Amino acid sequence: MLRYVIRRLLLIIPTMFFVALITFSLAHLAPGNPFDKNPNRPMPQETIDRISRFYGVDQPIPVQFITYLGNILHGDLGISFTRRTPVVDVIGQGIGTTFQLGIGALAFALAFSIPLGIVSALKQNTMIDYLSMLVATIGTTIPGFVLAIFLIYIFGVNLHLLPFVGWGSWQHMVMPMFVLGLGAGGFLTRITRASMLEAIRQDYVRTARSKGLQERAVIVGHALKNALIPIATIIGPATAGLITGSFIIESLFNVPGMGRLYVISILARDYPIIMGTTLLYAFLIMIANLTVDIVYGVLDPRIKVA
Amino acid sequence: MATAVTAQEKRTAELNVLARKQRSLWGDAMYRLFRNRAALVGLVVIAVAALVAIFAPVLAPYGPLEQHGKDGLMEPIWTKFFGSKYTDPAYLLGSDELGRDILSRLMYSSRVSLIIGFVPVSIVLAIGLTVGMLAGYVGGVLDDFLMRVTDVVYAFPDLLFVIIIVATLRGTGLGDAYDGLLVIFVGIAVVNWVGVARLVRGQVLSVKNREFVEAARAVGAGPGRIMRKHIFPNILAPVIVTVAFAIPGAMLTESVLSFLGIGIRPPTPTWGVMINEGFIVFSTSPWPVLLPSLCISIVLLAFTFVGDGLRDALDPRSKM
Repeated sequence: MLRYVIRRLLLIIPTMFFVALITFSLAHLAPGNPFDKNPNRPMPQETIDRISRFYGVDQPIPVQFITYLGNILHGDLGISFTRRTPVVDVIGQGIGTTFQLGIGALAFALAFSIPLGIVSALKQNTMIDYLSMLVATIGTTIPGFVLAIFLIYIFGVNLHLLPFVGWGSWQHMVMPMFVLGLGAGGFLTRITRASMLEAIRQDYVRTARSKGLQERAVIVGHALKNALIPIATIIGPATAGLITGSFIIESLFNVPGMGRLYVISILARDYPIIMGTTLLYAFLIMIANLTVDIVYGVLDPRIKVA
Repeated sequence: MATAVTAQEKRTAELNVLARKQRSLWGDAMYRLFRNRAALVGLVVIAVAALVAIFAPVLAPYGPLEQHGKDGLMEPIWTKFFGSKYTDPAYLLGSDELGRDILSRLMYSSRVSLIIGFVPVSIVLAIGLTVGMLAGYVGGVLDDFLMRVTDVVYAFPDLLFVIIIVATLRGTGLGDAYDGLLVIFVGIAVVNWVGVARLVRGQVLSVKNREFVEAARAVGAGPGRIMRKHIFPNILAPVIVTVAFAIPGAMLTESVLSFLGIGIRPPTPTWGVMINEGFIVFSTSPWPVLLPSLCISIVLLAFTFVGDGLRDALDPRSKM
């Protein structure tokens, strides 16, 4: 187990290297830079030279890449083109808000999806089951931004119940968290239902029943305990989903987090920020995937880690 | 003599039973799919959307880019019953801020969505099947390569990777081609072929040592024939299901990109572009945003229902 974890941790290094290489190449493949934005007021050549030297873009590209990698190792992600402040600081400003949003959304997703999944497995092929599967399908299928639009229309524009721009009070957080959580939760409902259906047909559940345990004890103590194991696997996809969801939801609701920052940077071609955030996202996802595999191995000893 | 007749009769009866039962795996799957009501509704919706897309120039009352300056921001005709003064029977679903007919734009949008749904997915399927089959059956360097590529691609969330590709190539010739359509194809294909290849590889590995493959090899079939005639039909079911979900996935990607302003270039209408354009005036006149949102939701749901139906039909054991 320990060897496996160490090997997986080491594997993060080459993967991160390639992620950096790909984003770096793409960023340098792209034409133009933010300094040549205004064709009517061209900058004097010496200014361009000075700026280029400041950002290190006068060096040959391979040299830039190696410098960049070296800087990453001591926590320097470069300087934002548009804000003229270190990327680390810019990310630092948004990351708290994004975590707040992500954790809130995840908590909401878990809170509704696990009970819903259990109930629909226990009442398989009844109206309750069909309804909760419909909710789950809507949650996974309807894009977050479309759902957000409907919610903003109903609760923001028509009923004036909730604010839909900004961040801060709990009222601001309700809709973004709901929308972001519904997607992850729909997926989770399906997984919970499937693994619960599998669990209640197992021999140990029959044994528990036949020795006279109450239905409640059978479901909670025997079936659910085992059914929850596969749910651990959702941590990986959920992290990825919350991250990509945050781009759209934060842009839509004007939440000052990393996702909105990312979208703004893309529109402004602020490559240092794009690359910094991409690397951070890739790192988070790899850690999440690793956590899934470890947790899975610990919870279910039948899973052999290779 | 008498016994011989009965034996023959018995044989005929057996044959009859066999004849009646003769339904292929695919026939069974189709039967199950068509009995699934949600999937059937999905298929009908998709068929209608496809017809609208094909006949958009005939059906649409106006051109998608036609502006009627004086008739901006008309509301759909039914809002008349709720006291709206800004309706006009000439614009059934109203008009946007430039006075373009929303119904016509919605119809033309379905063209882009269906193209985005099918073209990149075909590319993904072609690359993924080829690489996955070879990696699984032949193994070796290609297999190692595939696994390493997968590690990297899996570290990006799909949408993030597409966003990076599309965003960085936006200013190049590739990014400008066909109003930004081509670069979206590329983005979706680059990101998604890996998943299909990985799936196909796994399927091939689980099938390639089975007896029927060995039997084919024993009678002298070459690797190409074995892959095409013996392995391919046996790994098709999960691939079909994956593709069925990849189509709405690709449509979703386009609408998200266009909504964020890095997808299809306005004024070319797509549902995502319409939402993006209408969002500025959303709080005062919501219809230019609500109607395309509704269209995306309905079409994506339809594809998902069909995908779910296909999965249940092809793999009845799966309970997801």
